[in-house]
Amino acid sequence: MVECPVCGLQLEQNNLIKNELFSCPDCGAELEVIEINPLEVKEAPKEEEDWGE
Amino acid sequence: MKIGFLHSVIRPEEKYLIEEFKKRGAEIIMIDDRNLTFNLDKNNFDLDIVLERCINHSRALHSLRLFEAAGIKCVNSYKVATVCGDKLLTSVALKEHNVPQPEVRIAFTEESALKEIEEMGYPVVLKPAVGSWGRLLSKINDKDAAEAILEHKTVLGSYHHSIFYIQKYVEKNKRDIRAFVIGDECICAIYRTSDHWVTNTARGGVATNCPVTPELNDIAVKAAKAVGGGILAIDIFETPNGLLVNEVNYTMEFRNSIKTTGVNIPEKIVDYVIKASKENGK
Repeated sequence: MVECPVCGLQLEQNNLIKNELFSCPDCGAELEVIEINPLEVKEAPKEEEDWGE
Repeated sequence: MKIGFLHSVIRPEEKYLIEEFKKRGAEIIMIDDRNLTFNLDKNNFDLDIVLERCINHSRALHSLRLFEAAGIKCVNSYKVATVCGDKLLTSVALKEHNVPQPEVRIAFTEESALKEIEEMGYPVVLKPAVGSWGRLLSKINDKDAAEAILEHKTVLGSYHHSIFYIQKYVEKNKRDIRAFVIGDECICAIYRTSDHWVTNTARGGVATNCPVTPELNDIAVKAAKAVGGGILAIDIFETPNGLLVNEVNYTMEFRNSIKTTGVNIPEKIVDYVIKASKENGK
């Protein structure tokens, strides 16, 4: 269990891998997994000008 | 086999690829570009190949150059990233290989850009040479809009926004085609449909399956080869005069296209990377 850094919801997420992006089910903030064991998350980086395909 | 997996954030595409590599028993070395450094005197990487999956074009481009300088084969290559990362260079490569594309003109000042636009006739689309996901595209319908957009780009943009890449607007009946090419084959394609003139799925375009006809395969593979070949997504317009290549993407997104096409895209990418590594003598 880890707290959403934006809204404080207790997040219980399974099957995530390091650096994976996911959305907080409550506030919708995009989060990035920093560590798996124990689970640690932070807000995902903001889009930059050279992001893309 | 040691696969260097160059990435930053992990999106669904990267997760699919990692799972696929694991199924094959390949050893994956995760390389987060946010922690990556190079020392030109000690570039000694214990890797057989690098698969580039960065979200930042600039990091991808320079990392690929540096890995290749260290003797590591990269997919896609630095050359491909260079050409595809810049729409101007892509257009030049397509032209050199006789791949049909919409009319394109380049200018370096507001005045010369306006002159070219007036000559081409409205509407036209102004695009940043470097950029993706349909961002900062401007459809210009008349001279008033042209003057305003050109001035804004010159005054408010960084210097590369003053390299004016002008494309003749193509009426595409609310859809275009995204064709996925791996090596010598167009493995599948989708239609991207939207009421908006920008049809990128990142901007809300809806994906449906597009049958790969011999004509589509031919132009998609030709476009891929023109930019250097590898794993590429080709954006194509349908016109009364045939298919035209709009853009070529070198770190393709495919999350919406696996179920839509019924083709296991990550499996085919992994096949290609493993084969490329073996051909490289590793």
